[in-house]
Amino acid sequence: MSAQLLTSGVIFGLSIGSIFFLMAIGLSLCFGLMRIISLDQLLYYSVGAYLTYSLTLVTGNVWLGVLGGVVVAGIVSFAVERLIFRRIYERELTFSMITSFGVLIGGIGVIKFFWGVVPRPVPVPLMAQIDIIGTEVPVYRLIVVAIAFLVYAGIWLFLNRTITGKAIRAGIENVEHVEGLGINVSRLFTITFIIAGALSGLAGGLHAPLIMVDPSMGLEVLAFVFMVVIIGGLGSIKGTLISAFIVGQVVSLGSLIYAPLAQMAPFAIMLLILLVKPTGLYGSPLLKR
Amino acid sequence: MPPLDGMATGTGELLAVTGLNVSYGESKVLFDVNLHIGANEIVACVGRNGAGKSTLLKSIAGFLKLNSGTVTCNRVNLVGRMSYDIAKMGIKYVPQDKKVFSDLTVQENLELGSYATKDYNWDRVTDYFPKLKALMERKAGFLSGGERQMLMIARALLGHPKLLLIDEPTEGLAPSIVSHLREVFRELNKAAALVIVEQNLPLVCAIANRVYALKEGRIVAELADAASIRADVCEKYL
Repeated sequence: MSAQLLTSGVIFGLSIGSIFFLMAIGLSLCFGLMRIISLDQLLYYSVGAYLTYSLTLVTGNVWLGVLGGVVVAGIVSFAVERLIFRRIYERELTFSMITSFGVLIGGIGVIKFFWGVVPRPVPVPLMAQIDIIGTEVPVYRLIVVAIAFLVYAGIWLFLNRTITGKAIRAGIENVEHVEGLGINVSRLFTITFIIAGALSGLAGGLHAPLIMVDPSMGLEVLAFVFMVVIIGGLGSIKGTLISAFIVGQVVSLGSLIYAPLAQMAPFAIMLLILLVKPTGLYGSPLLKR
Repeated sequence: MPPLDGMATGTGELLAVTGLNVSYGESKVLFDVNLHIGANEIVACVGRNGAGKSTLLKSIAGFLKLNSGTVTCNRVNLVGRMSYDIAKMGIKYVPQDKKVFSDLTVQENLELGSYATKDYNWDRVTDYFPKLKALMERKAGFLSGGERQMLMIARALLGHPKLLLIDEPTEGLAPSIVSHLREVFRELNKAAALVIVEQNLPLVCAIANRVYALKEGRIVAELADAASIRADVCEKYL
């Protein structure tokens, strides 16, 4: 494999890993705090992508489209949390998984109704390329990676430096004890769900220029996002970031070596890590409701 | 919800529980429980494991749904209120499990106690437990059992609660810490009523004004005077 191919593969892996991170962080936080498997995050990813497509058509500015996608994805996730999840938090984990899958499938139907089934292209907002070790690398992919790191820093600051963030961290350990201190946990759930939805929307908006936007785009990345969450350790932000980049690199470099590896290798890595560390890289055995 | 003004300031009845029935799924745990707590009283609940003592405290604190019965505090109905709402009203529950927020520092644990109550006077609550002052930056997960208990009580004291529901506070603690807690409970009782679930009978006899004995989900005895609050009497119900 040439150095140029390798460099371009690594950059591709970093950018796809960044998208996985932005999507998986919502799933991870939702499980950590609310003990739900929120597959509907993949719907907000699609919503973010489609809003980016439509707003770009209207305004001609992809970044405005991404911003609109984030806002609308946050609003949709807020509505879903209020109307559906609030009623099922007390139920078994599988119940939330099936319900959220229902929301995802129903949402895909709504997307098909409004946008049709034909895949839609979104222009890349920045066509510039820079030279890295003799390889031309698209600047947009580097911006995606930088945004993922900024989001990680923002989430870290939120969870560690704000009282609401600390309450969420405490809730990840023990919801009942948080409530016993007079803190409205239900409000924490809503805040977390909106953050998760908005970040999934951001992932969709950023990913849109790199792929064709189509109704089932969420389902296509479902397995990868799940792997990221499991490898990183449920509820761990740091673990999710590292795991997202591992999966991104395995997909990218795997496809360069032998195309089917891109689909297969992440599963092998996941199984290997779970054999050594069943809670994932940074998962805590303390996680209990 | 505003705090319950005047709670625990007089000598009248603070909390009244009548006809309380509680189940975990199909399994009924409390049967027609009636009790009352006076302002500035220390009331102990004794009984064997599984007698329903912890369930009683959790029911008062709003963590469990009642099958039937009423719980009032200064004649304000607590049934149907969320547990966080009841905590904000000044009724704090200190669980038995000694589980602090281990990923947070001692100070951050106290910050969470201040979050809803807006009482940031950590000096006041750590005055009861001076050891905590030196541990403010330590992750709570690294505290000993006694230090965790101190932190949980200190955290609950923020916001000047009028009623503390404390579940098995001395379980597994060294005698010196138990003695310290005994003095702290006496001190706390100057400003708040305490309901303590406890198996440590010397402690119960030293501090309780009244004792309820529970057996198989029912209150089977009420010991209301110093002559009857004796270890040998209480022991019959363990």
